Amino acid sequence: MGCVRKRFLSSMPYWYYEKKELKDTPSFHDGIDFETESRYRKEGARFIIDTGTKMDLGYNTMATGVVYFHRFYMYHSFKTFPRYVTACCCLFLAGKVEETPKKCKDIIKIASELLSKNKFQTFGDDPKEEVMTLERILLQTIKFDLQIEHPYSFLLKYAKCLKGDKAKLEKMLQMAWTFVNDSLCTTLSLQWEPEVIAVALMYLAGKLSKFEVVDWAGRQPNHLRWWDMFVEGVTMDLLEDICHQVLDLYSQPQQPNSPDSPPMSLTSSTKRELKSVPIVAQPIARLSPVKPIQPIVTGAKLKTDLKSQTDGPGLPPTSVDVVPSQYSYPPGVTSYTNSSFSAQPFPQNVPLQSTSNSSSYPPSYPPSYPPAQANSQYLPPSKSHHPQPQQPPSSQFYPASQSSFSSSYQPQ
Amino acid sequence: MPFNSDEPKPSFQPSNKVKVMSKPMPPPSRGGSYMGQPRSGGTSGMEGSMSVNSIMTTKEKQKYIEDYNFQYCDEASKYEKIAKIGQGTFGEVFKAKDRKTQKKIVAMKKVLMDNEKEGFPITALREIKILQLLKHENVVNLLEICRTKATLSNRYKTTFYLVFDFCEHDLAGLLSNINVKFSLGEIKKVMQQLLNGLYYIHSNKILHRDMKAANVLITKTGILKLADFGLARPFSFSKNSAPNRYTNRVVTLWYRPPELLLGDRNYGPPVDLWGAGCIMAEMWTRSPIMQGNTEQQQLTLISQLCGSITPEVWPGVDSLELYTKMELPRDQKRKVKERLKPYVKDPFACDLLDKLLVLDPSKRADSDSALNHDFFWTDPMPCDLSKMLAQHTQSMFEYLAPPRRPGHMRPHHQQAAVINPTAARATTSSVESGYQDRVF
Ligand SMILES: Nc1ncnc2c1ncn2[C@@H]1O[C@H](COP(=O)(O)OP(=O)(O)OP(=O)(O)O)[C@@H](O)[C@H]1O
Ligand SMILES: [Mg+2]
Repeated sequence: MGCVRKRFLSSMPYWYYEKKELKDTPSFHDGIDFETESRYRKEGARFIIDTGTKMDLGYNTMATGVVYFHRFYMYHSFKTFPRYVTACCCLFLAGKVEETPKKCKDIIKIASELLSKNKFQTFGDDPKEEVMTLERILLQTIKFDLQIEHPYSFLLKYAKCLKGDKAKLEKMLQMAWTFVNDSLCTTLSLQWEPEVIAVALMYLAGKLSKFEVVDWAGRQPNHLRWWDMFVEGVTMDLLEDICHQVLDLYSQPQQPNSPDSPPMSLTSSTKRELKSVPIVAQPIARLSPVKPIQPIVTGAKLKTDLKSQTDGPGLPPTSVDVVPSQYSYPPGVTSYTNSSFSAQPFPQNVPLQSTSNSSSYPPSYPPSYPPAQANSQYLPPSKSHHPQPQQPPSSQFYPASQSSFSSSYQPQ
Repeated sequence: MPFNSDEPKPSFQPSNKVKVMSKPMPPPSRGGSYMGQPRSGGTSGMEGSMSVNSIMTTKEKQKYIEDYNFQYCDEASKYEKIAKIGQGTFGEVFKAKDRKTQKKIVAMKKVLMDNEKEGFPITALREIKILQLLKHENVVNLLEICRTKATLSNRYKTTFYLVFDFCEHDLAGLLSNINVKFSLGEIKKVMQQLLNGLYYIHSNKILHRDMKAANVLITKTGILKLADFGLARPFSFSKNSAPNRYTNRVVTLWYRPPELLLGDRNYGPPVDLWGAGCIMAEMWTRSPIMQGNTEQQQLTLISQLCGSITPEVWPGVDSLELYTKMELPRDQKRKVKERLKPYVKDPFACDLLDKLLVLDPSKRADSDSALNHDFFWTDPMPCDLSKMLAQHTQSMFEYLAPPRRPGHMRPHHQQAAVINPTAARATTSSVESGYQDRVF
């Protein structure tokens, strides 16, 4: 299961952990139980996203900040460093690293607006100095390993290869994008490379939006699944595990002692359905062998014929019958899928303010906290499509620390 | 440092990551979250158990920081400072020795944080990101980043150092020492390595933007390393999209190409090749060939050497921001070969210089074509520098050298005194340091 990990990057700090390592953290040793730590991580991540969104920061900046945050707490306890100060600090540093710098005092100002008085007190008498001091600690903790890759770019890359109805593909991509946004609140970035997370959440989005991938550009005879082209040794077990870590976000059980951890906004019956529905309807064994690395074929070389929607050999049956037809999950998907894609901002189509009467996450902000608007900066800007160089430099120009993982997916 | 915040955001992705297909898919146009939104109320519950007073006091935290062993960031005290070898806007540079092995020699560049209102300087972050990306024989090697321990005496403010493999000389130091004589083959070796380094960094979509002799290091074995990525940045070609708007306030004036002087903000790798041309000429002239005091004067000097700047020789130059604002000498003939010939006897060298010092950046030689020039493939072939360097047992750095006397190209510019931060820096520093750094 761990075969796709970057174990061989020995010169770099190793930022991927086993699940049991994630339960053996400084916070845990400091008397904070796993559930509470998970909640702190989620709240910190969410706070980074909310603050970043309010400041018009891009999705890469926010995601980088969140990854710093998760890494930081693999070395320090939530008791030593209160999460909202750390969150601000991570966003502050990520802003500079991603060339979208924001003034420290402006970040703190937003934080003071978003947080309750009680929580903002953790910033102390001199909030700016608190963040500055923490920045030096953060930099040392993350070993100046500043450049972080996120699943977003891989979603785009993968989507470009998938064939099928364009509108459906876009919807699927959109859904996957949102899952990646939400996955920041989990510790997935501490477990798997962005490539793997992108594959898993695109797979999940495909299931939920009923976009069946039957053909893709660059397909080789030994490719059973589209992602065989991009990642090796990803089993269905692994995919299911990753998807469930994200889905669990929407189904946090109400903890009586923890009003900070809200229940999900779905009805409990939907929840039960969700939990019982296997995402994977296919035995794993057929898919697990490691495929030889295949070249990624560029669009110019693509066959243009669209394969029929029938399942090819080795492909699982479509999941449509496994998923209940009244499947109303994630919230708002129905209205969202019916909506015109390019018209309204996403949240206007999605009832994020749940119609159910259960509370939703995170509840800990003061009442004044506005409902998040899908800020356009949180979305992929079209200018992220840098024209590629005519001739990509040969792979020898990429230092091992940066490229060895991805270069193994490059054309030979 | 003149790195404007109005610069566009570079996407600092190694450019080979996402393959753009011939017909790019539109990116998802919407986003957001499927998670519920914050509900009014509730700041109670668990929050109480993690209330403010259960968090460390400042004292406790200071102690924690002092005692914490950052396993990924070693203490600077593992190195023993030997000598100061450089001083820049960004910080001091020291030569130092590994205490444990007593062997490994490094250069430590201090990250100046004193007057930083915004924490760790973004310029230093850029330099670190770029140095982490670039690993090549002809690029200075960043070994690690070290810290000083946060203690009461430094008000718990850690200082950071970038630690590099030590290089015994910089090219400015070597050129200012008349006892250092380069043969034609050795000059070829220097230029070949310099262009190799540029080819590599440009292939990685990085612009150096501060080419000059002091930023070119040479080890005692004769390996050249491009250094000082304090002004470097990633670049992209803007083909269909909006043009880039990089700052044009880069590159030390004497090495600054005409497009920057005319306010171009959508420049690219050719800016570094202009600098390479200036450095190449300097291999013979031994001092910078065009030492302007002002941007206007620098443009005049360039016109006197490379000919008048006109839309005829440089289509589109008239659309550059400062084209009409600057006074551009007219009816100047191009005299690159003619004026450099007295110094640069070799005709192939003159020809390559003529192709590097081209006004129009789109016609200027790139590193690849320069490397293919006959200069590098005719006798005498590029030859090893280590023998020549072995005759010199002292490190030669610009910082330690007496100020270079700009005498050689005298006839071509009128100004008497060279007023330039670089020269001024060298003057004062050699006086105050007063020592010569012995290496071997
Ligand atoms: N690795 C090294 N080995 C030997 N000397 C070095 C090394 N790195 C730097 N130096 C010396 O220190 C001088 C200054 O270093 P560098 O150019 O990196 O910083 P700087 O000029 O202060 O930076 P900036 O231009 O960003 O202000 C160089 O000109 C060189 O003489
Ligand atoms: Mg320098």
